[in-house]
Amino acid sequence: MKRADLAAAACRQCKHFQNDAKQVEAALPGLSSLSSAYAAVRCDDGICAVHERYIAASSICPAFEEGYAFA
Amino acid sequence: MAEIAHTADRRLLARRSPWGELFRKEDWWAIWIGLGLIGVAVALFAGGSSIKWIAVAPQKWSHLSDVTLQLKQHGLQYAALFVLWAVAFGIGAAALGIKISRFLPAFLLVYLAAGALYFLGQWDQAAHYNLEPPLVALGLGLLISNTLGVPRWLDPGMRVEFYIKTGIVLLGAGLPLTLIAWAGPVAIVQAAIVSLATFGAIYFAAIGLGLDRRLAATLGTGGAVCGVSGAIAVGGAVGAKKEHVSVAISLVVVWAIVMIFVLPLVSRALGLSTGVAGAWIGTSEFADAAGLAAAQTYGGYAGSVPGIAGSPDAAVSAFTLMKVIGRDVWIGVWAFVLSLIATTRWERTGVQSKSSAAEIWNRFPKFVLGFLVASAVLTLVTRGFDYAAYKKEVVPALVAPLQAFRTWAFTFAFLSIGLTTRIREFASIGARPFYAFTIGVVVNVILGFVLSTQVFSAFWNRLGQ
Repeated sequence: MKRADLAAAACRQCKHFQNDAKQVEAALPGLSSLSSAYAAVRCDDGICAVHERYIAASSICPAFEEGYAFA
Repeated sequence: MAEIAHTADRRLLARRSPWGELFRKEDWWAIWIGLGLIGVAVALFAGGSSIKWIAVAPQKWSHLSDVTLQLKQHGLQYAALFVLWAVAFGIGAAALGIKISRFLPAFLLVYLAAGALYFLGQWDQAAHYNLEPPLVALGLGLLISNTLGVPRWLDPGMRVEFYIKTGIVLLGAGLPLTLIAWAGPVAIVQAAIVSLATFGAIYFAAIGLGLDRRLAATLGTGGAVCGVSGAIAVGGAVGAKKEHVSVAISLVVVWAIVMIFVLPLVSRALGLSTGVAGAWIGTSEFADAAGLAAAQTYGGYAGSVPGIAGSPDAAVSAFTLMKVIGRDVWIGVWAFVLSLIATTRWERTGVQSKSSAAEIWNRFPKFVLGFLVASAVLTLVTRGFDYAAYKKEVVPALVAPLQAFRTWAFTFAFLSIGLTTRIREFASIGARPFYAFTIGVVVNVILGFVLSTQVFSAFWNRLGQ
Protein backbone atom coordinates (compact mmCIF):
# COMPACT_ATOMS: atom_id res chain seq x y z
CA MET A 1 0.00 0.00 0.00
CA LYS A 2 1.35 3.42 -0.97
CA ARG A 3 1.76 6.23 1.54
CA ALA A 4 -0.87 8.22 -0.36
CA ASP A 5 -3.34 5.40 0.05
CA LEU A 6 -2.57 5.21 3.74
CA ALA A 7 -3.12 8.94 4.13
CA ALA A 8 -6.51 8.57 2.52
CA ALA A 9 -7.43 5.58 4.69
CA ALA A 10 -10.48 5.68 6.86
CA CYS A 11 -10.54 6.50 10.57
CA ARG A 12 -11.08 2.84 11.46
CA GLN A 13 -7.40 2.32 10.61
CA CYS A 14 -6.18 5.37 12.50
CA LYS A 15 -4.32 5.19 15.80
CA HIS A 16 -6.25 8.20 17.11
CA PHE A 17 -9.55 6.41 16.62
CA GLN A 18 -11.01 4.30 19.43
CA ASN A 19 -14.09 2.17 18.73
CA ASP A 20 -13.67 -0.80 21.03
CA ALA A 21 -17.12 -1.28 22.61
CA LYS A 22 -15.79 -1.38 26.18
CA GLN A 23 -13.80 1.81 25.65
CA VAL A 24 -16.75 3.57 24.03
CA GLU A 25 -18.99 2.68 26.98
CA ALA A 26 -16.34 3.90 29.40
CA ALA A 27 -16.00 7.17 27.49
CA LEU A 28 -19.75 7.81 27.31
CA PRO A 29 -21.22 7.35 30.81
CA GLY A 30 -24.87 6.29 30.81
CA LEU A 31 -24.62 4.63 27.40
CA SER A 32 -25.07 1.14 28.82
CA SER A 33 -28.04 2.16 31.02
CA LEU A 34 -30.54 2.29 28.17
CA SER A 35 -28.51 1.28 25.13
CA SER A 36 -25.19 -0.33 24.36
CA ALA A 37 -21.95 0.04 22.47
CA TYR A 38 -22.56 -3.50 21.20
CA ALA A 39 -25.78 -2.42 19.43
CA ALA A 40 -26.13 -2.66 15.66
CA VAL A 41 -27.18 1.00 15.45
CA ARG A 42 -23.69 2.06 16.56
CA CYS A 43 -22.04 0.37 13.58
CA ASP A 44 -18.30 0.87 14.10
CA ASP A 45 -18.49 4.47 15.28
CA GLY A 46 -15.85 5.57 17.74
CA ILE A 47 -14.06 8.48 19.31
CA CYS A 48 -11.39 10.53 17.59
CA ALA A 49 -8.78 11.66 20.11
CA VAL A 50 -7.54 14.42 17.81
CA HIS A 51 -10.86 16.13 17.17
CA GLU A 52 -12.63 14.94 20.34
CA ARG A 53 -15.55 13.86 18.20
CA TYR A 54 -17.73 10.78 18.01
CA ILE A 55 -17.46 9.77 14.37
CA ALA A 56 -18.21 7.05 11.86
CA ALA A 57 -15.34 4.62 11.21
CA SER A 58 -15.56 5.39 7.48
CA SER A 59 -14.68 9.07 8.03
CA ILE A 60 -11.39 10.51 6.84
CA CYS A 61 -9.21 13.41 7.98
CA PRO A 62 -5.74 14.90 7.36
CA ALA A 63 -4.51 13.90 10.84
CA PHE A 64 -4.70 10.20 9.93
CA GLU A 65 -1.92 8.00 11.27
CA GLU A 66 -2.04 4.30 10.70
CA GLY A 67 -2.37 1.95 13.65
CA TYR A 68 -4.95 1.02 16.24
CA ALA A 69 -5.41 2.70 19.58
CA PHE A 70 -6.46 -0.59 21.13
CA ALA A 71 -3.95 -2.81 19.33
CA MET B 1 5.22 0.46 7.06
CA ALA B 2 4.22 -2.28 4.60
CA GLU B 3 3.65 -4.66 7.49
CA ILE B 4 1.48 -2.17 9.33
CA ALA B 5 -0.51 -1.51 6.16
CA HIS B 6 -0.94 -5.24 5.59
CA THR B 7 -2.07 -5.79 9.18
CA ALA B 8 -4.41 -2.83 8.92
CA ASP B 9 -5.91 -4.18 5.72
CA ARG B 10 -6.37 -7.65 7.21
CA ARG B 11 -8.03 -6.27 10.33
CA LEU B 12 -10.11 -3.93 8.27
CA LEU B 13 -11.40 -6.83 6.20
CA ALA B 14 -12.06 -8.87 9.31
CA ARG B 15 -14.00 -6.04 10.90
CA ARG B 16 -15.97 -5.23 7.76
CA SER B 17 -16.99 -8.79 6.97
CA PRO B 18 -20.79 -8.98 6.80
CA TRP B 19 -20.65 -12.45 8.35
CA GLY B 20 -18.57 -11.24 11.27
CA GLU B 21 -21.39 -8.84 12.05
CA LEU B 22 -23.63 -11.81 12.84
CA PHE B 23 -21.49 -12.67 15.87
CA ARG B 24 -20.11 -9.38 17.15
CA LYS B 25 -23.30 -7.39 17.69
CA GLU B 26 -25.72 -8.06 20.51
CA ASP B 27 -28.71 -7.57 18.17
CA TRP B 28 -27.77 -10.77 16.37
CA TRP B 29 -27.08 -12.65 19.60
CA ALA B 30 -30.52 -11.61 20.86
CA ILE B 31 -31.90 -13.14 17.67
CA TRP B 32 -29.91 -16.38 18.03
CA ILE B 33 -30.95 -16.80 21.66
CA GLY B 34 -34.59 -15.78 21.21
CA LEU B 35 -35.17 -17.78 18.05
CA GLY B 36 -33.15 -20.68 19.45
CA LEU B 37 -35.51 -20.93 22.42
CA ILE B 38 -38.54 -20.58 20.16
CA GLY B 39 -37.17 -23.24 17.79
CA VAL B 40 -36.65 -25.75 20.61
CA ALA B 41 -40.08 -24.93 22.07
CA VAL B 42 -41.78 -25.42 18.70
CA ALA B 43 -39.89 -28.67 18.01
CA LEU B 44 -40.90 -30.11 21.39
CA PHE B 45 -44.50 -28.96 20.88
CA ALA B 46 -44.60 -30.58 17.44
CA GLY B 47 -43.33 -33.81 19.00
CA GLY B 48 -46.14 -33.80 21.55
CA SER B 49 -43.97 -32.52 24.39
CA SER B 50 -43.25 -29.06 25.86
CA ILE B 51 -40.41 -26.85 27.01
CA LYS B 52 -42.46 -25.79 30.03
CA TRP B 53 -40.44 -27.81 32.58
CA ILE B 54 -37.47 -25.49 32.24
CA ALA B 55 -39.54 -22.33 31.62
CA VAL B 56 -40.38 -22.22 35.29
CA ALA B 57 -41.97 -19.09 36.73
CA PRO B 58 -43.26 -18.11 40.18
CA GLN B 59 -46.99 -18.64 40.78
CA LYS B 60 -49.40 -16.48 42.77
CA TRP B 61 -48.82 -16.67 46.53
CA SER B 62 -50.27 -15.24 49.73
CA HIS B 63 -47.85 -16.27 52.49
CA LEU B 64 -44.08 -16.69 52.60
CA SER B 65 -44.61 -20.38 53.29
CA ASP B 66 -46.10 -20.63 49.76
CA VAL B 67 -42.85 -19.25 48.35
CA THR B 68 -40.79 -21.76 50.31
CA LEU B 69 -43.00 -24.55 49.05
CA GLN B 70 -42.68 -23.40 45.43
CA LEU B 71 -38.89 -23.22 45.76
CA LYS B 72 -38.76 -26.70 47.28
CA GLN B 73 -40.97 -28.18 44.57
CA HIS B 74 -39.28 -26.43 41.65
CA GLY B 75 -35.74 -25.83 42.92
CA LEU B 76 -34.19 -28.10 40.30
CA GLN B 77 -36.10 -26.32 37.53
CA TYR B 78 -34.88 -22.91 38.73
CA ALA B 79 -31.31 -24.24 38.78
CA ALA B 80 -31.72 -25.68 35.26
CA LEU B 81 -33.18 -22.39 34.05
CA PHE B 82 -30.17 -20.54 35.43
CA VAL B 83 -27.84 -22.90 33.56
CA LEU B 84 -29.84 -22.34 30.36
CA TRP B 85 -29.68 -18.56 30.62
CA ALA B 86 -26.05 -18.60 31.76
CA VAL B 87 -25.01 -20.72 28.77
CA ALA B 88 -27.05 -18.71 26.26
CA PHE B 89 -26.10 -15.24 27.48
CA GLY B 90 -22.61 -16.41 28.44
CA ILE B 91 -21.81 -17.55 24.91
CA GLY B 92 -23.22 -14.31 23.54
CA ALA B 93 -21.27 -12.21 26.03
CA ALA B 94 -18.05 -14.11 25.24
CA ALA B 95 -18.56 -13.51 21.51
CA LEU B 96 -18.97 -9.80 22.26
CA GLY B 97 -15.63 -9.80 24.06
CA ILE B 98 -16.89 -9.94 27.64
CA LYS B 99 -14.87 -12.46 29.64
CA ILE B 100 -17.11 -15.35 30.62
CA SER B 101 -15.32 -15.68 33.97
CA ARG B 102 -16.43 -12.11 34.72
CA PHE B 103 -19.91 -12.48 33.24
CA LEU B 104 -21.06 -15.60 35.09
CA PRO B 105 -20.65 -14.50 38.73
CA ALA B 106 -22.33 -11.19 37.92
CA PHE B 107 -25.15 -12.91 36.04
CA LEU B 108 -25.74 -15.29 38.95
CA LEU B 109 -26.50 -12.31 41.16
CA VAL B 110 -28.71 -10.73 38.49
CA TYR B 111 -30.62 -14.03 38.15
CA LEU B 112 -31.16 -14.36 41.90
CA ALA B 113 -32.30 -10.75 42.26
CA ALA B 114 -34.58 -11.08 39.22
CA GLY B 115 -36.07 -14.24 40.72
CA ALA B 116 -36.81 -12.40 43.96
CA LEU B 117 -38.52 -9.60 42.01
CA TYR B 118 -40.48 -12.07 39.91
CA PHE B 119 -41.75 -13.70 43.11
CA LEU B 120 -42.59 -10.32 44.58
CA GLY B 121 -44.73 -9.53 41.54
CA GLN B 122 -46.75 -12.71 42.15
CA TRP B 123 -47.68 -11.72 45.71
CA ASP B 124 -51.46 -11.29 45.80
CA GLN B 125 -51.02 -7.97 47.65
CA ALA B 126 -48.36 -6.58 45.28
CA ALA B 127 -50.76 -4.36 43.32
CA HIS B 128 -52.34 -3.11 46.56
CA TYR B 129 -48.92 -1.84 47.73
CA ASN B 130 -47.86 -0.65 44.23
CA LEU B 131 -45.08 -3.23 44.14
CA GLU B 132 -44.98 -3.73 40.38
CA PRO B 133 -41.74 -5.63 39.63
CA PRO B 134 -40.43 -3.25 36.92
CA LEU B 135 -40.84 -0.23 39.17
CA VAL B 136 -39.44 -1.98 42.24
CA ALA B 137 -36.46 -3.22 40.19
CA LEU B 138 -35.80 0.23 38.85
CA GLY B 139 -36.34 2.10 42.12
CA LEU B 140 -34.25 -0.33 44.14
CA GLY B 141 -31.50 -0.39 41.52
CA LEU B 142 -31.35 3.40 41.34
CA LEU B 143 -31.25 3.68 45.11
CA ILE B 144 -28.45 1.16 45.47
CA SER B 145 -26.31 2.41 42.58
CA ASN B 146 -26.58 6.04 43.65
CA THR B 147 -26.11 5.61 47.39
CA LEU B 148 -24.25 2.45 48.39
CA GLY B 149 -22.78 1.96 44.93
CA VAL B 150 -22.61 -1.18 42.83
CA PRO B 151 -19.31 -3.07 42.71
CA ARG B 152 -17.68 -2.90 39.28
CA TRP B 153 -17.42 -6.69 39.05
CA LEU B 154 -21.19 -6.74 38.53
CA ASP B 155 -21.02 -4.61 35.37
CA PRO B 156 -20.46 -7.50 32.90
CA GLY B 157 -23.72 -9.13 34.02
CA MET B 158 -25.87 -6.03 33.67
CA ARG B 159 -26.42 -5.87 29.91
CA VAL B 160 -29.75 -4.01 29.70
CA GLU B 161 -29.96 -3.97 25.92
CA PHE B 162 -28.88 -7.57 25.45
CA TYR B 163 -31.66 -8.76 27.76
CA ILE B 164 -34.32 -6.40 26.46
CA LYS B 165 -33.64 -7.28 22.81
CA THR B 166 -33.80 -11.00 23.62
CA GLY B 167 -37.10 -10.34 25.40
CA ILE B 168 -38.45 -8.43 22.39
CA VAL B 169 -37.56 -11.30 20.03
CA LEU B 170 -39.43 -13.66 22.39
CA LEU B 171 -42.29 -11.17 22.52
CA GLY B 172 -42.70 -11.64 18.76
CA ALA B 173 -43.91 -15.16 19.53
CA GLY B 174 -46.89 -13.66 21.35
CA LEU B 175 -47.93 -11.27 18.58
CA PRO B 176 -49.53 -12.84 15.49
CA LEU B 177 -48.15 -11.58 12.20
CA THR B 178 -51.70 -10.65 11.19
CA LEU B 179 -51.92 -8.31 14.18
CA ILE B 180 -48.62 -6.66 13.26
CA ALA B 181 -49.83 -6.23 9.68
CA TRP B 182 -53.15 -4.80 10.92
CA ALA B 183 -51.74 -2.45 13.56
CA GLY B 184 -48.35 -1.67 12.04
CA PRO B 185 -49.48 1.02 9.57
CA VAL B 186 -51.41 2.94 12.24
CA ALA B 187 -48.40 2.70 14.56
CA ILE B 188 -46.13 4.00 11.80
CA VAL B 189 -48.44 6.95 11.03
CA GLN B 190 -48.82 7.93 14.69
CA ALA B 191 -45.11 7.49 15.38
CA ALA B 192 -44.14 9.47 12.26
CA ILE B 193 -46.31 12.44 13.28
CA VAL B 194 -44.88 12.50 16.79
CA SER B 195 -41.28 11.81 15.73
CA LEU B 196 -41.23 14.62 13.17
CA ALA B 197 -42.90 17.08 15.56
CA THR B 198 -40.60 16.16 18.46
CA PHE B 199 -37.45 16.28 16.36
CA GLY B 200 -38.48 19.64 14.92
CA ALA B 201 -39.28 21.04 18.36
CA ILE B 202 -35.94 19.98 19.87
CA TYR B 203 -33.83 20.83 16.83
CA PHE B 204 -35.23 24.32 16.26
CA ALA B 205 -35.34 25.08 19.99
CA ALA B 206 -31.67 24.08 20.23
CA ILE B 207 -30.71 26.20 17.21
CA GLY B 208 -32.73 29.09 18.63
CA LEU B 209 -30.81 28.75 21.88
CA GLY B 210 -27.53 28.98 19.95
CA LEU B 211 -26.47 25.34 20.19
CA ASP B 212 -24.35 23.51 17.62
CA ARG B 213 -26.32 21.90 14.76
CA ARG B 214 -24.83 18.47 15.36
CA LEU B 215 -25.76 18.62 19.03
CA ALA B 216 -29.26 19.76 18.04
CA ALA B 217 -29.63 16.78 15.68
CA THR B 218 -28.27 14.33 18.27
CA LEU B 219 -30.65 15.64 20.94
CA GLY B 220 -33.54 15.67 18.47
CA THR B 221 -33.11 12.06 17.43
CA GLY B 222 -32.59 10.96 21.02
CA GLY B 223 -35.96 12.47 21.91
CA ALA B 224 -37.84 11.63 18.74
CA VAL B 225 -36.72 8.23 17.54
CA CYS B 226 -35.12 5.73 19.85
CA GLY B 227 -33.51 7.35 22.85
CA VAL B 228 -29.86 6.67 23.61
CA SER B 229 -29.57 4.39 20.57
CA GLY B 230 -30.92 7.17 18.37
CA ALA B 231 -28.53 9.67 19.91
CA ILE B 232 -25.43 7.53 19.34
CA ALA B 233 -26.51 6.51 15.83
CA VAL B 234 -27.00 10.08 14.68
CA GLY B 235 -24.15 11.44 16.81
CA GLY B 236 -21.79 9.11 14.93
CA ALA B 237 -23.39 9.72 11.54
CA VAL B 238 -23.05 13.51 11.77
CA GLY B 239 -19.74 13.51 13.70
CA ALA B 240 -20.93 15.23 16.89
CA LYS B 241 -18.52 16.34 19.58
CA LYS B 242 -17.89 13.62 22.14
CA GLU B 243 -19.16 15.74 25.03
CA HIS B 244 -22.32 16.54 23.07
CA VAL B 245 -23.11 12.85 22.69
CA SER B 246 -22.61 12.50 26.44
CA VAL B 247 -25.02 15.38 27.07
CA ALA B 248 -27.66 13.77 24.83
CA ILE B 249 -27.23 10.40 26.58
CA SER B 250 -27.60 11.98 30.02
CA LEU B 251 -30.73 13.90 29.03
CA VAL B 252 -32.38 10.87 27.43
CA VAL B 253 -31.64 8.61 30.41
CA VAL B 254 -32.89 11.13 32.97
CA TRP B 255 -36.14 11.85 31.09
CA ALA B 256 -36.70 8.19 30.21
CA ILE B 257 -36.46 7.22 33.87
CA VAL B 258 -38.80 10.03 34.90
CA MET B 259 -41.31 8.81 32.28
CA ILE B 260 -41.18 5.21 33.53
CA PHE B 261 -42.91 6.46 36.66
CA VAL B 262 -44.97 9.36 35.25
CA LEU B 263 -46.67 7.74 32.24
CA PRO B 264 -48.18 4.73 34.08
CA LEU B 265 -49.14 6.99 37.00
CA VAL B 266 -51.00 9.51 34.81
CA SER B 267 -52.54 6.75 32.67
CA ARG B 268 -53.81 5.06 35.82
CA ALA B 269 -55.21 8.31 37.21
CA LEU B 270 -57.07 8.86 33.92
CA GLY B 271 -58.24 5.24 33.76
CA LEU B 272 -56.82 4.64 30.29
CA SER B 273 -57.26 1.17 28.83
CA THR B 274 -54.14 -0.97 28.54
CA GLY B 275 -54.05 -0.68 24.73
CA VAL B 276 -54.35 3.12 24.76
CA ALA B 277 -51.81 3.54 27.58
CA GLY B 278 -49.38 1.19 25.80
CA ALA B 279 -49.67 3.25 22.62
CA TRP B 280 -49.07 6.46 24.54
CA ILE B 281 -46.04 5.00 26.31
CA GLY B 282 -44.75 3.72 22.97
CA THR B 283 -45.08 7.19 21.49
CA SER B 284 -43.73 9.20 24.40
CA GLU B 285 -41.09 7.03 26.08
CA PHE B 286 -37.54 7.45 24.82
CA ALA B 287 -35.98 4.00 25.13
CA ASP B 288 -37.16 0.44 24.59
CA ALA B 289 -36.13 -0.85 28.01
CA ALA B 290 -37.65 2.12 29.83
CA GLY B 291 -40.85 1.92 27.82
CA LEU B 292 -41.24 -1.80 28.37
CA ALA B 293 -40.82 -1.25 32.11
CA ALA B 294 -43.63 1.33 32.01
CA ALA B 295 -45.86 -0.75 29.70
CA GLN B 296 -45.42 -3.97 31.69
CA THR B 297 -46.20 -2.07 34.87
CA TYR B 298 -49.41 -0.75 33.34
CA GLY B 299 -50.37 -4.14 31.94
CA GLY B 300 -50.11 -5.45 35.50
CA TYR B 301 -52.91 -3.07 36.54
CA ALA B 302 -55.42 -4.84 34.29
CA GLY B 303 -57.64 -6.96 36.46
CA SER B 304 -56.11 -5.72 39.70
CA VAL B 305 -56.87 -1.98 39.57
CA PRO B 306 -60.57 -1.09 39.17
CA GLY B 307 -61.40 0.87 36.02
CA ILE B 308 -58.45 -0.28 33.90
CA ALA B 309 -59.91 -1.99 30.85
CA GLY B 310 -58.12 -4.24 28.37
CA SER B 311 -55.96 -7.32 28.58
CA PRO B 312 -52.66 -7.28 30.52
CA ASP B 313 -50.67 -8.05 27.37
CA ALA B 314 -52.22 -5.21 25.38
CA ALA B 315 -50.03 -2.54 27.00
CA VAL B 316 -46.81 -4.32 26.02
CA SER B 317 -48.18 -5.23 22.57
CA ALA B 318 -49.29 -1.66 21.77
CA PHE B 319 -46.02 -0.30 23.13
CA THR B 320 -43.96 -2.67 21.01
CA LEU B 321 -45.89 -1.95 17.82
CA MET B 322 -45.56 1.78 18.37
CA LYS B 323 -41.95 1.89 19.54
CA VAL B 324 -40.29 -0.94 17.65
CA ILE B 325 -42.28 -0.91 14.38
CA GLY B 326 -43.27 2.75 14.44
CA ARG B 327 -40.02 4.35 15.59
CA ASP B 328 -36.95 2.11 16.02
CA VAL B 329 -36.81 0.71 12.50
CA TRP B 330 -36.43 4.19 10.99
CA ILE B 331 -33.20 5.08 12.77
CA GLY B 332 -31.09 4.22 9.71
CA VAL B 333 -33.13 6.59 7.57
CA TRP B 334 -32.75 9.39 10.11
CA ALA B 335 -28.99 8.77 10.32
CA PHE B 336 -28.59 8.74 6.54
CA VAL B 337 -30.62 11.91 5.93
CA LEU B 338 -28.92 13.82 8.73
CA SER B 339 -25.43 12.70 7.70
CA LEU B 340 -26.21 13.83 4.16
CA ILE B 341 -27.30 17.24 5.42
CA ALA B 342 -24.30 17.45 7.77
CA THR B 343 -21.77 16.73 5.03
CA THR B 344 -23.35 19.00 2.44
CA ARG B 345 -24.89 21.87 4.39
CA TRP B 346 -23.35 22.26 7.82
CA GLU B 347 -20.04 23.83 8.84
CA ARG B 348 -16.99 21.58 8.46
CA THR B 349 -15.43 19.90 11.48
CA GLY B 350 -12.02 18.74 10.29
CA VAL B 351 -13.36 15.21 9.91
CA GLN B 352 -14.97 14.31 6.61
CA SER B 353 -17.87 11.87 6.94
CA LYS B 354 -19.01 9.68 4.09
CA SER B 355 -22.74 9.73 3.63
CA SER B 356 -24.13 6.58 2.06
CA ALA B 357 -27.53 4.94 1.71
CA ALA B 358 -25.90 1.79 3.11
CA GLU B 359 -26.24 3.59 6.45
CA ILE B 360 -29.95 2.69 6.43
CA TRP B 361 -29.18 -1.02 6.67
CA ASN B 362 -25.95 -0.71 8.67
CA ARG B 363 -27.74 1.09 11.49
CA PHE B 364 -30.94 -0.92 11.27
CA PRO B 365 -31.76 -2.43 14.69
CA LYS B 366 -31.42 -6.04 13.56
CA PHE B 367 -33.20 -7.55 16.57
CA VAL B 368 -36.46 -6.36 14.95
CA LEU B 369 -35.91 -9.05 12.30
CA GLY B 370 -35.90 -11.67 15.05
CA PHE B 371 -39.12 -10.20 16.46
CA LEU B 372 -40.81 -10.51 13.04
CA VAL B 373 -39.49 -14.02 12.37
CA ALA B 374 -40.69 -15.14 15.82
CA SER B 375 -44.13 -13.76 15.05
CA ALA B 376 -44.22 -15.49 11.66
CA VAL B 377 -43.12 -18.85 13.12
CA LEU B 378 -45.77 -18.87 15.84
CA THR B 379 -48.46 -17.68 13.43
CA LEU B 380 -47.58 -20.56 11.13
CA VAL B 381 -47.41 -23.17 13.90
CA THR B 382 -50.72 -22.18 15.48
CA ARG B 383 -52.81 -21.55 12.35
CA GLY B 384 -54.47 -24.99 12.36
CA PHE B 385 -55.94 -24.59 15.85
CA ASP B 386 -59.37 -23.16 16.60
CA TYR B 387 -59.71 -20.82 19.60
CA ALA B 388 -60.70 -23.54 22.10
CA ALA B 389 -57.87 -25.84 21.05
CA TYR B 390 -55.45 -22.93 21.08
CA LYS B 391 -56.36 -22.07 24.69
CA LYS B 392 -56.32 -25.69 25.82
CA GLU B 393 -53.28 -27.04 23.98
CA VAL B 394 -51.10 -24.31 22.50
CA VAL B 395 -51.09 -21.81 25.35
CA PRO B 396 -49.94 -24.09 28.20
CA ALA B 397 -47.46 -26.10 26.12
CA LEU B 398 -45.99 -23.39 23.90
CA VAL B 399 -47.13 -19.79 24.40
CA ALA B 400 -47.01 -19.62 28.21
CA PRO B 401 -43.46 -21.04 28.50
CA LEU B 402 -42.21 -18.56 25.89
CA GLN B 403 -43.99 -15.81 27.81
CA ALA B 404 -42.17 -16.93 30.97
CA PHE B 405 -38.81 -16.76 29.17
CA ARG B 406 -39.70 -13.26 27.99
CA THR B 407 -40.65 -12.10 31.48
CA TRP B 408 -37.33 -13.39 32.84
CA ALA B 409 -35.38 -11.57 30.13
CA PHE B 410 -37.28 -8.33 30.77
CA THR B 411 -36.77 -8.63 34.52
CA PHE B 412 -32.99 -9.01 34.02
CA ALA B 413 -33.15 -5.81 31.98
CA PHE B 414 -35.32 -3.78 34.38
CA LEU B 415 -33.03 -4.69 37.25
CA SER B 416 -29.96 -3.74 35.24
CA ILE B 417 -31.32 -0.30 34.27
CA GLY B 418 -31.38 0.98 37.84
CA LEU B 419 -28.11 -0.67 38.82
CA THR B 420 -26.20 0.78 35.84
CA THR B 421 -27.60 4.32 36.11
CA ARG B 422 -25.03 6.21 38.15
CA ILE B 423 -26.26 9.77 37.97
CA ARG B 424 -23.08 11.29 39.43
CA GLU B 425 -21.13 9.92 36.45
CA PHE B 426 -23.33 11.69 33.92
CA ALA B 427 -22.00 14.56 31.87
CA SER B 428 -22.81 18.05 33.05
CA ILE B 429 -25.86 18.83 30.93
CA GLY B 430 -26.02 22.62 30.84
CA ALA B 431 -29.16 24.75 30.83
CA ARG B 432 -29.63 25.26 27.08
CA PRO B 433 -29.57 21.57 26.04
CA PHE B 434 -31.88 20.86 28.96
CA TYR B 435 -34.40 23.50 27.85
CA ALA B 436 -34.28 22.39 24.21
CA PHE B 437 -34.79 18.72 25.08
CA THR B 438 -37.51 19.51 27.63
CA ILE B 439 -39.48 21.47 25.03
CA GLY B 440 -39.39 18.32 22.90
CA VAL B 441 -40.51 16.20 25.85
CA VAL B 442 -43.55 18.44 26.37
CA VAL B 443 -44.48 18.34 22.67
CA ASN B 444 -43.94 14.59 22.54
CA VAL B 445 -46.02 13.79 25.63
CA ILE B 446 -48.95 16.05 24.69
CA LEU B 447 -49.07 15.01 21.04
CA GLY B 448 -48.64 11.32 21.95
CA PHE B 449 -51.48 11.62 24.45
CA VAL B 450 -53.85 13.31 21.99
CA LEU B 451 -53.14 10.80 19.21
CA SER B 452 -53.41 7.76 21.51
CA THR B 453 -56.46 8.81 23.51
CA GLN B 454 -58.41 10.80 20.89
CA VAL B 455 -57.40 10.35 17.26
CA PHE B 456 -56.58 6.63 17.31
CA SER B 457 -58.21 5.64 20.62
CA ALA B 458 -60.81 3.31 19.05
CA PHE B 459 -58.02 1.46 17.29
CA TRP B 460 -55.84 1.01 20.38
CA ASN B 461 -58.87 0.04 22.49
CA ARG B 462 -59.70 -2.70 19.98
CA LEU B 463 -56.15 -4.00 20.26
CA GLY B 464 -56.66 -4.34 24.01
CA GLN B 465 -59.73 -6.52 23.56
